[in-house]
Amino acid sequence: MKMMTRKATMTNKERVEALLRREKPDRVPHWPFGPQGFAMIYAGFSIADQYTKPPEVVYEAEKKASQDFDWVFAPQVRTRRGRGEFGGEVKLPTNKYSQAAYVVKYPAETPDEVMELKVPDIKLRYTPEVIDFYKRACQEEDGNKPFKISFGGTSVINTAGGIAGYDKLCKWMIQRPEVAHRLLRLAADYSIATAQYFKDTFGVERVLPKGYTAGASNQLISPKHFEQFALPYLKEVHQKVLAMGFKHLWVHPCGEHNLNLPYWQQIPMGDPGFVTIANEVDLETAAPYFPNDIIMGNLDTTVIQIGTPDEVYEAARKVIEQGKRLPSGFIFSQACGLPPMAPVDNMRAITRALNDFGWY
Amino acid sequence: MATKERTKEILGELGKSVYEFREDDAVKWAKAALKEGVDPFQAALEGLAQGMIETGEAYNRKEYFVPEMLMAADALYAGLGVLQPAIKASGRKAKVAGSIILGVVEGDVHDIGKNLLKVMFDVAGWTIYDLGKDVPIDKFVEEQLKTNADIVGLSSFMTTSMLAMPVIIEKIHAKNPRARIMVGGTPLNPVAAEKYGADGYAKSAGTAVDEAMRLLEMLQKEELGQAL
Repeated sequence: MKMMTRKATMTNKERVEALLRREKPDRVPHWPFGPQGFAMIYAGFSIADQYTKPPEVVYEAEKKASQDFDWVFAPQVRTRRGRGEFGGEVKLPTNKYSQAAYVVKYPAETPDEVMELKVPDIKLRYTPEVIDFYKRACQEEDGNKPFKISFGGTSVINTAGGIAGYDKLCKWMIQRPEVAHRLLRLAADYSIATAQYFKDTFGVERVLPKGYTAGASNQLISPKHFEQFALPYLKEVHQKVLAMGFKHLWVHPCGEHNLNLPYWQQIPMGDPGFVTIANEVDLETAAPYFPNDIIMGNLDTTVIQIGTPDEVYEAARKVIEQGKRLPSGFIFSQACGLPPMAPVDNMRAITRALNDFGWY
Repeated sequence: MATKERTKEILGELGKSVYEFREDDAVKWAKAALKEGVDPFQAALEGLAQGMIETGEAYNRKEYFVPEMLMAADALYAGLGVLQPAIKASGRKAKVAGSIILGVVEGDVHDIGKNLLKVMFDVAGWTIYDLGKDVPIDKFVEEQLKTNADIVGLSSFMTTSMLAMPVIIEKIHAKNPRARIMVGGTPLNPVAAEKYGADGYAKSAGTAVDEAMRLLEMLQKEELGQAL
């Protein structure tokens, strides 16, 4: 299924490794963001199966999709429930319209409950079977796999939003800032403990911590609130995780972060880090704020989902051509999570665009 | 009976309480309005609702964001809570702009945007049928047939849940071609709205009422044309 208009001289693993050395790869690599749902459906499973099937099923599905579509493969260790780090009630996707697990009852509903919450035992999020499997998976080398594993560990504001709900977090930023700070403190401590657990369990070499920050976008909060509530905790978590020895962090400022970019600039990402930009932010606008990091992004997921293959090909071309001009390195990706129900022909159109326009 | 100047002052303070999301002040000034004989209807519309409209404008200008909108809505409803018994007792009814069904489509629980929409339609004088979140496809169809609402507003936050939208739109249009359907939410854009057969698209809570008004006016013109 791979279509090569020029002969590749590097594997996807080597492409990412070249970028980490701040060298140009032979071609722009494609590292899809959150491809598990699509990979499972492509392999004949349901979206919900990624939470319920043994980890090797998800791993193999993603590996197969990576081979077929010429992707970077960065397997992410699956948690027990997907969400609900601090408890509460989580519902798994029940049909094709539901993209991921979601919280139906929050672990804390009132300020008092927030103030009494403690950081839970990280180990409870991962079953022994999952950990054993990923220890074995770490040993497997693959031409698409620059990192042994990745894990979600630095999503401070998303974690905070999952404790009491984003609406309450938003209101408390104004009404009860001490409660909002407590939520962020809990989330930051949880992130730091998660990274420590992964260091103790898997080591730090070629292990990639990842973080998503949908809850801090300017579609939700102001840059003033980003500075007050997101920046100090993100900065602390990133500093502490890097001090543990992790070399690179992967972050996704999800959604519209234009007004937050000067604050993002203050957050260390590693040497270099990976910054996945959403389509609400222009790649060339974002790049100067991350002069030492590899920029990823930012094909609109809506066009992937509803566009024709020709429309996807053309949209991908524009992203690739813009991304290739970025001085600190570029990896093609989606603007947000890869739509699980994306038409396969549209994904092939992306592969075709990369092979037509992605060469350096 | 409050003087014209005092009435103006109370209305201004009511609006400011909402705009500056001071819930206690909204209650205080609503009580003052009742005590001093200001028309409760006027206090609600020209005071509190006007404050929320200005809050929505600040949101559109990116001076306000979701936290400010949510807090302003709390102040609005706190003040309305004081005025409503007097409005009810007066027997007066607000002029209804139109009617709208709101809901987050099946498979999706992200309802902050939909809840903000509800506030903005409320202050604009619409009758609202709020179906909540993760709403089954057929529930939208049933509710539209039951209420004959002018507009159906569908919200989605994910590329999976938005796939429910064309199914809902087709079903509603098949059962009741009169209904106008608008869509919104993170993965939606005008192209998606058109592909899905929606009649309208709203980028945010701040623009949704204008879009709904546009659809309503089109609908009224069409119906007038048919009647003639």
